[in-house]
Amino acid sequence: MAATEQARRPAWKTLLFSYEALLLLVLVAEWLFFYFAGTTMNRRGVVVGFGTLDRQFDILRHSCEIGLLAVALTPVIITGGIDLSVGSLLGLCAILFGKFWHDGGLTIPTAIALTLVIGAAAGGLNAALITALRLPPLIVTLGTYSLFRGLAEAITHGAITYTNFPSAFLFLGQERWLGLPAQAWVSLPIGVAIWMLVHRMTFGRSFRAIGFSPDGARYAGLPVNRRLALVYVIAGVVSAVAAIIYTARLGQAKADAGTGYELFAITAVVLGGTSIFGGTGTVHGTMIGVAAIAVLKNGLACLPVVMRMNAAEEMSGLLTGALLLVALTAGVLPKIISELRARFHLGAKT
Amino acid sequence: MKSFLPRVSALLVLFLASLVAAGAADSKLVLAMLPKAKGNAYFLSVKGGADKAARELGVQLLFDGPTDTDAAKQNEIVENWITLGVDVIAVAAENKEGLSTALRKAQKQGIKVISYDADVMPDARSFFVNQATPQGIGFALMDEAARLCNEEGEFAIITASLTAANQQEWEKNIRKRLATKYPKMKLVAVRPSDDIKDKAQSEATALLSANPNLKLLMAISSPGVPGAAEAVKQAGKVGQVKVIGLGLPNENKRYVHEGVTDSVILWNTDHLGYLTVYAGVALAKGELKKGDKEIKAGSLGTFEIIEDNILLGKPFIFNKSNIDQFDF
Amino acid sequence: MRHYFRELSVAAVLLVLLAALAIFAPAFYQPQPLLSLATREAPTLIVACGMALVIIARQIDISVGSQFSVCSVSAALLAAMHWPLALVLPASVAIGAVLGAINGALIAGLGLPSIVVTLATMVTLRQGLNMLRQGEWVSLPDNVQWFGLSQTVGQWLLVAAALALLVALGLAMRHLAGGRFVYAVGSDAEAARLAGIRPRLGTFFIFVFMGALTGLAAMMNIIQSPQVQPLSGVGLELKVIAAVVVGGVAISGGRGNLWGAFAGLLLLACIAPALTHLRIEAYWEKAIQGAIILLAVVADGLRSRKGDA
Repeated sequence: MAATEQARRPAWKTLLFSYEALLLLVLVAEWLFFYFAGTTMNRRGVVVGFGTLDRQFDILRHSCEIGLLAVALTPVIITGGIDLSVGSLLGLCAILFGKFWHDGGLTIPTAIALTLVIGAAAGGLNAALITALRLPPLIVTLGTYSLFRGLAEAITHGAITYTNFPSAFLFLGQERWLGLPAQAWVSLPIGVAIWMLVHRMTFGRSFRAIGFSPDGARYAGLPVNRRLALVYVIAGVVSAVAAIIYTARLGQAKADAGTGYELFAITAVVLGGTSIFGGTGTVHGTMIGVAAIAVLKNGLACLPVVMRMNAAEEMSGLLTGALLLVALTAGVLPKIISELRARFHLGAKT
Repeated sequence: MKSFLPRVSALLVLFLASLVAAGAADSKLVLAMLPKAKGNAYFLSVKGGADKAARELGVQLLFDGPTDTDAAKQNEIVENWITLGVDVIAVAAENKEGLSTALRKAQKQGIKVISYDADVMPDARSFFVNQATPQGIGFALMDEAARLCNEEGEFAIITASLTAANQQEWEKNIRKRLATKYPKMKLVAVRPSDDIKDKAQSEATALLSANPNLKLLMAISSPGVPGAAEAVKQAGKVGQVKVIGLGLPNENKRYVHEGVTDSVILWNTDHLGYLTVYAGVALAKGELKKGDKEIKAGSLGTFEIIEDNILLGKPFIFNKSNIDQFDF
Repeated sequence: MRHYFRELSVAAVLLVLLAALAIFAPAFYQPQPLLSLATREAPTLIVACGMALVIIARQIDISVGSQFSVCSVSAALLAAMHWPLALVLPASVAIGAVLGAINGALIAGLGLPSIVVTLATMVTLRQGLNMLRQGEWVSLPDNVQWFGLSQTVGQWLLVAAALALLVALGLAMRHLAGGRFVYAVGSDAEAARLAGIRPRLGTFFIFVFMGALTGLAAMMNIIQSPQVQPLSGVGLELKVIAAVVVGGVAISGGRGNLWGAFAGLLLLACIAPALTHLRIEAYWEKAIQGAIILLAVVADGLRSRKGDA
């Protein structure tokens, strides 16, 4: 019934009342709040804090890697799957990239290409186990989550750190190009490409069909296994890209790179309105989700109150968790209200 | 839009600034201090000292860090402080090279940088408040171990995590001292504990049963020392296997008195925080310059400076005779 | 026999590992260290039992590690205030049950997905604890360790309690209505509803039970040493989920049992000490763990494919 109602609405109205629009509103409100409450003047009379352009660029730089992972995870979750291994794969790719360049004597571009191949292969391993053996993605990627991180530690003995990358490479993570942080020029096109894939191509429709009902999709003649393999391989390749950006931003590659990133990324995807059960979700929602979390984290660190409490890190974790719960509840609220109303009316009649 | 936002914001900023100025918080010098990780007893104690110094000097202290060791997060926090326009940044680096990138940027913006606890690259900071060099720590631990074992026998190390940079430095120096000075001693295993006491205990239990000739357990992460001690106690090997390590007196008092742990090595972490704040503020006010030979730090008196290292003093060995005199 | 194929195959892998230890590192088999190992893993077993129930009911709970920390610290604070242990124990269980009830209310009451809800509560509880306690350790009074009993008695008591709970729950799952109920909810909630049971209420109580077990486990952990670290419990969720899954409990719900979860936990718990005994460097540990999880699920996948054909 809800669907027909939606169909009768004009397009702009659907867009305006969509979850993503609501989230965007939250993001804007959040941004404005921090802009006014988190911008101050320091002793030297310079405007500092959240409102500065530098800070906005820092937010962009700091959210590139998690943003990439989250965007790549969106199609995975839309198909009803999940990939817990992306953070570990980021670590593995980072040290392999370092190893190719430092120990293998390869040039940076060759090392990057080889790292992307590794990322694809690792994603392919997940895909093979999930599609060929029809194993649950949660379990497969829980295994590769340990395996990839374990390999990274085994290769470096945990100890080796690759540093002293050429400055032309570090430019990618630390400098600005044409007004934007350099890594944004890599991340944004990837984001747009995945958006096109999900929202402007038939692939996206098939992802949703698979997430809605894998068997139904199979009977409808969709190449379910190939489509599923595609989303996991994309997740692998994008993790490798994130690994390279991470390495360039920090100027070092080490086996602990990206620890815990999978949880941040999944949080952003879910906050962005993608259903963890699959079937629905949008890439732009994910991007807004990433931005909402990044702005929250950064903004809190600028609030004088929070600064005095010395609790920016804890509080941003706390509020991210709370925000997620509120968003989830908001998502089901209409359903619950109508349920309660139905029950109330029933109760009144009898 | 372009001309609108700055104008409105400038008005609002002025308004807010006047509000804040009423609280007079804005006129204070701001010193931001980055621990390797928040929420462990070591840095909690450092913060205690830093708070005291900040009160005495009338500066605002920001103390923030990752909730668990995370090199990338350290960078992000420093970059946040840069746009926050703090006056001084004091860091304990999880990872030298990574953090130095952000600190050089801070220096370019006129922010003074010092390091404490774990140094960064020398060009990324003005001074290092040196509580003990990795060599000093590694050698002191190894010497103490050798003394307790009469310079012969097997021993094992429990570290924080395999990837923690400072642990690796210490381990390297322990191995160096071992190779050059104690040929009759043998390092049989190095096991990680992830800074979790319970895990350290499990690892120590396995080490004890796998190595019946083990004479000593050395825990170089502070939660590891009580974990190892509890394992030795539960295995009924008190006296037979000795426990030493880097740790805080309070966490280890019980085991030292019971005779399970022989000695704990550490510097005065409270003083470390205190001295760091004094040095940072002196640097920002221009009272501390390159080439100075000493610095005065409030109630603690003067400290020697060698080149760009401010020396806190030698690491301290706590044992049964003196551990009760310390409370941190 | 065919019925228990999966559980038996995990047990077989475990036996191979134990046999390898018997040949290459007989020192592994000393009574005292083994008892210590068993005592250390007793709380984990309790949590794993709860997790098996949750997963059989086609849910998941990744907040158990944070729940464990919150219960540990609260119980320790109560004990440090000289509450009698006979009160601290139920208090810890009750705190766990309340935390579980929060998850349960959100999941069963509002119909939200458990993986996301517990992800949110995991982060919220962990950071809340960090904020309130700043990582400070709690020192316990002398009479808390081993309930004031001798060490050997205390250790046997903990191991026996954990095993007794396992056996009781394992039998209940097979023979009692409540146990079959969990399977019914997990295999087909709609069918269960039509059959006249209330899956949502059931799911709620499964999470409450999970929380209560976590509170019990936290208590069993804090009496093992004189100090409590708030970090204890970090990573516990992954450990128990891996154990339960390796033990053959299907993530899709309705299939598996506690004996399998027990075998899975034993296998994973033995890996770290086995590496120490076999003198394999520590940096291989995670890779080996991942490989074992993958092998277990691949074996499962291959077998069920054969079943299909």
